[in-house]
Amino acid sequence: MADTILQGVSLVKEYRMGASRLRVLRDVDVRVARGEFLCVLGPSGSGKSTLLHLLGLLDRPTEGRVVFEGQDAFARPKRWRDRMRNEAIGFVFQFYYLMPDLSVLANTLLPAMVRTPLAAWPAVRGGHRRRALEVLTDLGLSERVAHLPRELSGGERQRAALARALVHQPRILFADEPTGNLDSATGEEIMRVITRRTRRDGLTVVMVTHDQRVAEQADRILRLHDGKLLRGA
Amino acid sequence: MDGQWLASPWLIPAAVGAGVVALGLLALMLATPVYKHIICAKYLFCGWKAVVPLVSALPAALGVFLLILVFAIMDGFVRETREMTRGTLSDIIVDAHMEGLPHYEELARRIEAIEGVEAASPVIQTYAVARVKPRLSSIKPLVRPCVIIGIRPGEKAEMGRFHEYLQRQRGSQYAAADLLNVPEAWHRGPRPARPGCIAGVGVIGAPMSSPVPETMREGAGRRVLAAFLAVPAALASLFVWRAGRRRQGRAGWTVATILCVVVFMALVAAASFMPVREVQITRPQVIDFPLLPYGGDLVVSTIPIRPSGALAMEAGGIPKVSSRAFTVVDRFKSGYWEADSSHVYVDFDVAQQMAGMDAQPAAEGKPAVPARTNQIQVRIADPSQAETLVRKIEDVWRDFGRERPEVGVLQLSINTWETQQRMILTVVEVERNITALMLGVMLLGFGVLIGLISYVMAYIKARDVGILKALGARDAGVGSLFLGYGFIIGVIGVTVGMTAALLMLANLDPIEVWVNRTLDIDVFPREMYYFDHIPQHTSPAWCVAIGAGVLALSTLASMAGGLLAALKQPVEALRYE
Repeated sequence: MADTILQGVSLVKEYRMGASRLRVLRDVDVRVARGEFLCVLGPSGSGKSTLLHLLGLLDRPTEGRVVFEGQDAFARPKRWRDRMRNEAIGFVFQFYYLMPDLSVLANTLLPAMVRTPLAAWPAVRGGHRRRALEVLTDLGLSERVAHLPRELSGGERQRAALARALVHQPRILFADEPTGNLDSATGEEIMRVITRRTRRDGLTVVMVTHDQRVAEQADRILRLHDGKLLRGA
Repeated sequence: MDGQWLASPWLIPAAVGAGVVALGLLALMLATPVYKHIICAKYLFCGWKAVVPLVSALPAALGVFLLILVFAIMDGFVRETREMTRGTLSDIIVDAHMEGLPHYEELARRIEAIEGVEAASPVIQTYAVARVKPRLSSIKPLVRPCVIIGIRPGEKAEMGRFHEYLQRQRGSQYAAADLLNVPEAWHRGPRPARPGCIAGVGVIGAPMSSPVPETMREGAGRRVLAAFLAVPAALASLFVWRAGRRRQGRAGWTVATILCVVVFMALVAAASFMPVREVQITRPQVIDFPLLPYGGDLVVSTIPIRPSGALAMEAGGIPKVSSRAFTVVDRFKSGYWEADSSHVYVDFDVAQQMAGMDAQPAAEGKPAVPARTNQIQVRIADPSQAETLVRKIEDVWRDFGRERPEVGVLQLSINTWETQQRMILTVVEVERNITALMLGVMLLGFGVLIGLISYVMAYIKARDVGILKALGARDAGVGSLFLGYGFIIGVIGVTVGMTAALLMLANLDPIEVWVNRTLDIDVFPREMYYFDHIPQHTSPAWCVAIGAGVLALSTLASMAGGLLAALKQPVEALRYE
């Protein structure tokens, strides 16, 4: 696979549980091609969310490396990983994780707000706002921009979270059970959006799920069980 | 608040420092990512939940309010007490005690020759008994212990603020201050040959507390109260409006908002336009030390002390009593009770004779005895140089003692007026410092409370912390969000507390009257404290120091929340669900 955007090499993750250690991931190797829609399928507790957190630079592996766009991510300074998460990566979580006190529009603008100092904000705010409104309109939320997350339905919340993850045009999107908290119709609607983005815009997507039907929409499926990738997956 | 601080040499450096700090803060704000400002503002001012963090500004406000108020009043006490005690003394006192100092005129001239000394005047001071004669024979005379102080009136006028304390006697043809400059004023009355005296108000009368009419500005206290209440009303209006905006279509919110705004406007109108009128009230006050039914004559008796230090004796071992009748030509009231209740000022020569300190010619084989004095009071040009001049006077005294060995054996105490009065000043200052210490400890408690609130905030907002970190916010950035939160709480607390304290200090007397009349509590019994007003001195430097200290404390305390947020792993925070 020539154009690899992300690679996990011999990833191990352990958690301390008092005196003992709990090994959640065991020597996992993953390679993600640019523009690929990869799904990690596994039952609850198999370590798929942990794998997503390691690949998404949210957590440090106990052993192994994460190579993002040719750079050993955990050999680089933390500031670099923060910048990558802000500029190159988008996240969608099962429980949406929208800021409850911010409107849908403000939530969508959050990645831009994180990287822009106050002094520069008046000059760039208009451009970011336009882009955010385009994405929200594309996701069918144009009438909901001024609402708070608690005033939205589950599907709308997930679409708002998706808008926040896509607004800065990330090079890779990590989705952790994006349909896990939604009814099947709404889940399908979310999956349609993600699939469309992958096919139309060439967005790389890494999604974890325990739902076989959802996973089947991906280009490639990796099966994880007890922290190990199953052979032949 | 006096204007002396405008002349302080620290004013320009302090203003420049404050400007640099303000510019630094502004630069820091402008360089800080936008999300911190927006989220911090949301945490502080968004919805009903924001009431909780705003309540955490109350401890800071209360701390600033109490510290400024207590410091201003205690400092006022210290300053006015110092002024009162200083007024009866001179800058430096050379004290020869009861045995007396001979050749004092020469020593006074040498002291006056020191650069920085403006005047040096001998003073006699001895203990005595004063008897105030009644006008009617059926009334018993007043008999009081007293201190006779022999002064040279012209010279005493230049010492301290004594002349300001003279109360013009009823019927006198001289202005009170002229008593110190016009010799005839000491010999007025039906017996011009009789020497005059100036007696403390407490010597020739008893303090009389009486309900006297007083003009006060009624309504000022209510205006201040309305202004205080307008602030929470404004905040309530804002919160209700914000909450209502999020819940469109519910008429109850609109009605509640209108009600809050109406209450706020009513309070603002009351604070601005509530009538303030001059009213006559009566309250107990020390009004006078009445002489009636006593006359204007005072008989003072003392026992002279020989140059050897022994009491002067009559034949048969009976102490020789020296008595003299005086006409009370004026009374003085300094406000310093010890002086007002015991001091009787008489002419220096008369006091010297009574104390047996006048010159004695040689007789019956005994050598001549030179005249003596108890004290030399010294006035200096620059009070800040007092300690230096004390050392120079000590040098002069050592040289003087070497030249006159019979004088050199005496033990003189040379002190500034502050050292002389250190007991009373120290008591008040210690009281002020202990109060400040207690309030400081209380403020530390407030700091812990703010820290706990900040920690709980960071704990409750753990998911927000995780979201922000997932979106690329740096650990230090998310931590500083809570520091900024603590800083703003501090700014709100300091602003509210300082405004409330300054408003209260500006209206202290009307508020006291209002409390007195409404609750029937005598907050400041004047006859007990011996001030006719609640003393206060507001120092801008102290206000700034207290404000900056509380601001720093509030920001530091919120580090608890900041550290929790900064150290929180995003994955751990996002597992909150």
